[in-house]
Amino acid sequence: MSQTSAPAQQATPSGTKTALPRAARPRLYRALRWAFLLPALAYLIFAFAIPIIYNLVLSFEQTSPATISHLTAPWAGLSNYTTTLKDPTADSAIIRTFSFTVLSLLFQFIIGFALALLFNLRFPLRRFARSLILVPWLLPLLVTGTIFKFLFQLEAGAVNQILSDLHLITQPIGFELSPSWAYVTVLITNIWIGVPFFTVLLYSALQDVPPDLLDAARIDGAGAWRRLTKVTLPIIRPVIEVVFVLGFVFTIKVFDVVIGLTNGGPANSTQLIATWAYNLSFQEFEYGAGAAMNTVLLLIALVAAPLYIWLNRQTLRGDSL
Amino acid sequence: MTAVTRRRLIAGAASVAALAALVILLFPLYAVVVASFETNSQLFGASHYSFWPATWTLSNYSVVLSQQGSHVLSSLIVGAGTTLLTLAIAVPAAHALARYRFRVTAILVGSLLVAQILPSIVIANSLFLVYHRLHLLNSYPGLILADASYAVPFGTLVLRAFMLGLPRDVLAAARVDGASEWLTFTRVVLPMARSAVITVALFAFLNGWGDFIFALTLLNGNTFEPVTLSIYTYIGEFSQNWGEAMALAVFAVLPAAMLLIAAQRYIAAGLTVGSVKG
Repeated sequence: MSQTSAPAQQATPSGTKTALPRAARPRLYRALRWAFLLPALAYLIFAFAIPIIYNLVLSFEQTSPATISHLTAPWAGLSNYTTTLKDPTADSAIIRTFSFTVLSLLFQFIIGFALALLFNLRFPLRRFARSLILVPWLLPLLVTGTIFKFLFQLEAGAVNQILSDLHLITQPIGFELSPSWAYVTVLITNIWIGVPFFTVLLYSALQDVPPDLLDAARIDGAGAWRRLTKVTLPIIRPVIEVVFVLGFVFTIKVFDVVIGLTNGGPANSTQLIATWAYNLSFQEFEYGAGAAMNTVLLLIALVAAPLYIWLNRQTLRGDSL
Repeated sequence: MTAVTRRRLIAGAASVAALAALVILLFPLYAVVVASFETNSQLFGASHYSFWPATWTLSNYSVVLSQQGSHVLSSLIVGAGTTLLTLAIAVPAAHALARYRFRVTAILVGSLLVAQILPSIVIANSLFLVYHRLHLLNSYPGLILADASYAVPFGTLVLRAFMLGLPRDVLAAARVDGASEWLTFTRVVLPMARSAVITVALFAFLNGWGDFIFALTLLNGNTFEPVTLSIYTYIGEFSQNWGEAMALAVFAVLPAAMLLIAAQRYIAAGLTVGSVKG
């Protein structure tokens, strides 16, 4: 947009009377508009653009504890990628991140949707219960991980106690000692954290389903299941899409919970891409290898970007609001 | 069965189901509070878990209060700093993106959406090396700048979505009255967007308060240590100090609990507006 056309464009909708003073100082107005944006632009560059570009650079460099006092290190070609991805721990961390994400989302959706349907009924405790259910979502994630580590202890662990009180087990389960049980504990913990998010969003979507439509379906003889699948679900589908995309984004970057609960163990059996990248960079001081792992995580995360932008397409320019 | 009894029956069953769900969902919190009043020998290596311990102790709290005060203060500083930084960046940016039409508006909003998606560990890995050069490791400004990376994109998008919904004629009236851009922003837009600002401030605070990943990577614990980091060091390879860790965990969850009681509608608003209306 050229300097001269700007005031002319603004003058058209509001009329010449109010546009006149602004036409006199278009440069200043334009500068002011950008001034509102400047801190955000600077921050986006500092906190997102630079780290991502630098991560990419690092992943092609030969790094060591000695190189951290320099911003650059010798070129390493693809060696960080080839050696990192050849490591079976990295491979299983990538596969595990996928299975962890799929299982987390599946159970979070099932439980969250069931609770949303429950809260959609009329009962006395409804408001109170709905506010309490938010709690797991708000706790610091590391604290949640630590709490569940305590609950899943072998001796004096609450979960083992409950299971044996219910006569489901005779011997306490070594949740922290067995690789597959350790994975299950991380999964359960992550599901616990995500259920409130699913519940609140799906509940608010259910509130927007027009009651008339459900009544009409009832009069036409549709049972509860048919009303759910043929009326409710199609109407709330956009929200379900958003919840899954956001849930995907939250889950692939899970970090605090794993560190707090298992620290990636036993024998790296609960390492996810994020925790393994951390391990490479900050435990083994292989910054280049950690950066290569981070690039893998970044690429997976960016799969969600076009989807997320598409789901938010209406707000991009603010036209429809 | 009449319609009334049927409705009552459903309400009764729903109440029972909701209560059961709450008991399961909130049991971990109950366990933390109870554990914070127990000795370490009751909590670690004991023969069984007791839902209601026979003896209670305040010793964990006296240790935590005498030793962890500075860490709680550190977390408060980080939380407050993250809130202020987020608001300083997000509020004006949201105003500009909602009110003016830039050629790059769609690109900027798209970038904010993508920024929300980026995993923190990627940022932490690079920031560690950048901070090492800039001498920002082990500093409040460094940690706060990193911690705001959760809340700045979220906050800008939530505030913008809210500001787009403000009545345009009020803003137009302010313009006719000759209010400058800055006055329109501070006197007209900000008061009307108050509830969205509170929502963003709460989330920014909780993010800064609860951050672990940046504290773990950008601090070495020698200068200051937020609560999350000290809970992590309580339960490490060499120590299993559950009693004190649980008492500290109670402090760590207090802000979330208090905010939920005092400002529940803002929290729920943040969840729904932030996600659905982007």
